[in-house]
Amino acid sequence: MKIGRKNHLTRFVGAAQGERQRNGFVTVISAALVEPCDKLNNMPLENPFQDPLRFERRIPECAVAIFGANGDLTKRKLLPALYRLAYERRLSPGFAVLGISRTPMSDDQFRASMHDSVAKFLEDSPFDEEVWSAFAQGLYYMAGDIGDPQAFTHLAASLKQIEDCRHTAGNVLFYLSTQPSQYAAAAKGIGAAGLAEGKGWRRIVIEKPFGHDLESARELSNELHEVFRESDIYRIDHYLGKETVQNILAFRFGNGIFEPLWDRRYVNSVQITAAESIGVEGRGGYYQEAGALRDMIQNHLLQIMATIAMEPSATFQPDAVRDERAKLLRTIRVMKPDQVLANSISGQYGPARIGGADVPGFRQEKGVDPQSQTNTYAAATFFVDNWRWAGVPFFIRSGKRLPKRVTEIAIQFNDAPHAVFGDNGDEATPNLLILRIQPEEGISLRFLSKRPGAGMKLRPVSMDFNYGSSFGERSPTAYETLLLDAMIGDATLYTRQDMVEASWGAVEPILNVWQNHKFEFPNYEAGTWGPKAADEMLARHGHTWRTP
Amino acid sequence: MSTTIQPERVLRELAELWVTLGKESDPGHSSGVLRACAMTLITLVEESEDPSDVWSTMAALMPEHPSRAIVIRFRESATRELSSRVFSQCWMPFGHRRQICCEQIEISASDASLPDLAPVVLPLAVADLPVMLWCRSARLFSLPDFPQIAKIAHKLLLDSSAFPDPPEILARIQGSGKIVGDLAWTRLTRVRELISQIFESRNYLARLADVAHVKVTFGGNVPPTGAYYLAAWILDCLESAGAHPRVDWEPVLGDPPGQISRIELSSAASDGLRLAICISGESARQCAEVQIDSLTTHTVFPPDNDYVLLREELAIPGRDAVYERSLARANKLAAEKK
Repeated sequence: MKIGRKNHLTRFVGAAQGERQRNGFVTVISAALVEPCDKLNNMPLENPFQDPLRFERRIPECAVAIFGANGDLTKRKLLPALYRLAYERRLSPGFAVLGISRTPMSDDQFRASMHDSVAKFLEDSPFDEEVWSAFAQGLYYMAGDIGDPQAFTHLAASLKQIEDCRHTAGNVLFYLSTQPSQYAAAAKGIGAAGLAEGKGWRRIVIEKPFGHDLESARELSNELHEVFRESDIYRIDHYLGKETVQNILAFRFGNGIFEPLWDRRYVNSVQITAAESIGVEGRGGYYQEAGALRDMIQNHLLQIMATIAMEPSATFQPDAVRDERAKLLRTIRVMKPDQVLANSISGQYGPARIGGADVPGFRQEKGVDPQSQTNTYAAATFFVDNWRWAGVPFFIRSGKRLPKRVTEIAIQFNDAPHAVFGDNGDEATPNLLILRIQPEEGISLRFLSKRPGAGMKLRPVSMDFNYGSSFGERSPTAYETLLLDAMIGDATLYTRQDMVEASWGAVEPILNVWQNHKFEFPNYEAGTWGPKAADEMLARHGHTWRTP
Repeated sequence: MSTTIQPERVLRELAELWVTLGKESDPGHSSGVLRACAMTLITLVEESEDPSDVWSTMAALMPEHPSRAIVIRFRESATRELSSRVFSQCWMPFGHRRQICCEQIEISASDASLPDLAPVVLPLAVADLPVMLWCRSARLFSLPDFPQIAKIAHKLLLDSSAFPDPPEILARIQGSGKIVGDLAWTRLTRVRELISQIFESRNYLARLADVAHVKVTFGGNVPPTGAYYLAAWILDCLESAGAHPRVDWEPVLGDPPGQISRIELSSAASDGLRLAICISGESARQCAEVQIDSLTTHTVFPPDNDYVLLREELAIPGRDAVYERSLARANKLAAEKK
């Protein structure tokens, strides 16, 4: 039986690890496993030149095949991120990108088009022509339609050609930067052309939405699983790629002093806010089908909530971390239909005048139904049914046309059990820990301090850690982090099927009730912090929304 | 110049400085001044050096490595002289209301007062945080009383490429018993990383054991410390992969002394692995051309200056096992070459 190189290596390492290891080499004892190629038998298990203390994580040789290569995401995010990885010298010498879309274009035209896009959309980074010209040598293009089986035959030939001339070792990352409705067809085409398996690894990255409800999410997963193993499917959630979201894990589990306070005994409530000051910006048609609950809360904010509330994993291995996130998502209490309207708020912005300019309401936006019932604001009170968080409310809100763009998490601690210093004014000032995700990334802790002078008057002060000013170095963009992780094979920051299903499980009951309810929209003016009903929801729990 | 410094007085001046900064900054708001400190960074410089060079490097380092910076300026004199001044450096991150400030102390000293410095500097170091000592002068490193001030540092930073006798300085570093960050080693990170990246490929990794020759080409007559370090590191890595190559040194008299211009790894077999990395350009912008088998690629290295090198070393306050192994091997290579 002919043994393929990948299978052979897997078995070789697996069998040999328990047998004999000498000077970083493995001596194969089982004759049945001996590959004809002596070089592979003598290959070190690890690259001996690695220096993890000083070197950044490196990407093995591979090709990235981008479906939808002429689209906005490719131009604005993917290619600038890949170029930046090249600039940082993270890519292997033969790294290649194969762009695929319907528009006929030559390799050189694709390179020229991407040159302009990368130069324009590169964030916080210089554009270097010399680096670009080396990077652009690895850019290729093919025209093809996902619905056409011939396109995948052509794709197989192109990838083979790239593998031969760029030494990519058969490793391919397929990136679906297309309409979600094309995910299944693209995966099937890849599978039918025999591209889901090969000499090297094969992985597929898809963008949200992962279905529009629980059933469609399962259906999509099933279709992807016909071609790819779950471990090779990378569902991207760019919020998880943000440095400050990753810093939540470092803050919680890298320090000894916070975790003992991180439970129902000390935490009073948690507020997660993701506010945008802009409207739908020409995406009214898409947004009308999605809404804030599906677009933000079902994925990004529930993932953040899981990161805040999960148990520590035993290791920082991808599946260990994702297991804990998934466990937390499964423990979110599912609302009963009669609880939904009291514990969730749907909102839609109306017209207003902001900064001297008239701002249209959602229903006045282009492509939006004038009677639309779409939520541009969503808020919900979730509870986590586990030992650590029992009884602690998690207030989550997200909306468009709010006063400012801000994403932050506020953890409010219980008041001191006894007011030793007497009444300190009208307002209670509990300790507050703020984790700011954007725009001023950092962490603040609010506590009480004595006012200078005679008497014992207290006032709240804020102790700040500011990510940007404490570390002057440029932070990688979320797409740089996530693309690098996918190419390395680290799925820690990617969403797994069970996580997607668990978050739909928490959100779907709300959607079901909202769909059958007629809301009096618009119910908040553009430029305000959302509908009054959202304030009332918190008031019922004895809380108020923070003003970020 | 006075002959003594009272650490208590310096600390009091620093405290007053913070009060002044707090009063000056944005009196209408409570945002105020943010004080940041992750270490004490002591820098020893010659009085003849342009102070603005040192302070501009410090300023660039502050956002990433906020520290209490103590710069000690030495002049060659047999008279015991010491004086000090304190000041602060603040910056306002773009779009923020609050200033970030760091403390800076400048001490002027004569060579003769070196033994008096350790008791002065010790109380000035920030409690519970690492002390880094950056010695910018080969002469100061060679003074007999230097170990006294080096004793208070957790890590000693120097640039061995500035020393005239590479084998001698390598031996002294190894014999110092300190955690050392040698900027000549730091300068190699970019090229080491490039080599490592090449062997992330399983195809090349599988052929590593065949490497029989390593050649390092350098400017000048004798290999600089960087060439010894690089060869030592490559040999160590190759040996751990089962190869036992020979190292060849190739001086190029026309190239600037100390510059490494080419590294080659090759196997004895005609169809075996051939890797050549050619480095060209000034430190502000160096390019590397990588030739491996039939594939040629180009890489641009980021600028190489004190700030970049220090930034990397200050991020590693503890021991660096790879460096220490390479230092030991470099010493052997230098002794053999001698």
